[in-house]
Amino acid sequence: MPAIRNQIRELRGLREITQQDLADRVGVTRQTVIAMEQDKYSPSLETAFKVALELGVPLEQCFQYDPKGKR
Amino acid sequence: MASLSYREKTLYASLVAEILVYGPYFFLHQQNSVNKVAGMIVAIIVLQVVLQLVIAAFTRNRTTDERDRLIELRGYRAGYLVVASLMVVGLAMLWFHATMGQIHLDNPHVGLHFLSVFFGILVIADITKTATQIVAYRRAL
Repeated sequence: MPAIRNQIRELRGLREITQQDLADRVGVTRQTVIAMEQDKYSPSLETAFKVALELGVPLEQCFQYDPKGKR
Repeated sequence: MASLSYREKTLYASLVAEILVYGPYFFLHQQNSVNKVAGMIVAIIVLQVVLQLVIAAFTRNRTTDERDRLIELRGYRAGYLVVASLMVVGLAMLWFHATMGQIHLDNPHVGLHFLSVFFGILVIADITKTATQIVAYRRAL
């Protein structure tokens, strides 16, 4: 299990936002959104806040930290 | 290719250009010269510019972000480690062979040989940098 997990895919699905839309709003590439959703990339704090803001949820609802997870 | 980002496409193009230009130089048995090295540097620059222009023309979204920059830094770190390691090995071998009297540093052919070797180190480092970046795009960061 990765140290930082997220609910981007689920939250994005609920709001019917495409990966490209979210990427454009946050200012990253679609490939970065895909990597985040697959837990292959932990974004910077700034990007994490932007993602949570665009999805309309608090940061901790979008991203979770597991101290026992792999870095 | 649609699932690749702009940066990934440019990296694959760089790798192709590097293999096309450097491959014949290092793997075909031939007499290398300073002119060939200079010609190759011009060739790689021209080929890179042409390939990057084609990719830029056919890619609508040319955004780069923090992940691209992180991957770029990892590539440069890998390339630097290769340069530093091979330079130490190369200089140690030069010192060893010179001490044993197997080579004479005042011989002009020795200078050309070592120019070729050190140019080869730069090429290996460049290919390592590009390959590391391509792999980093496919693996978890």
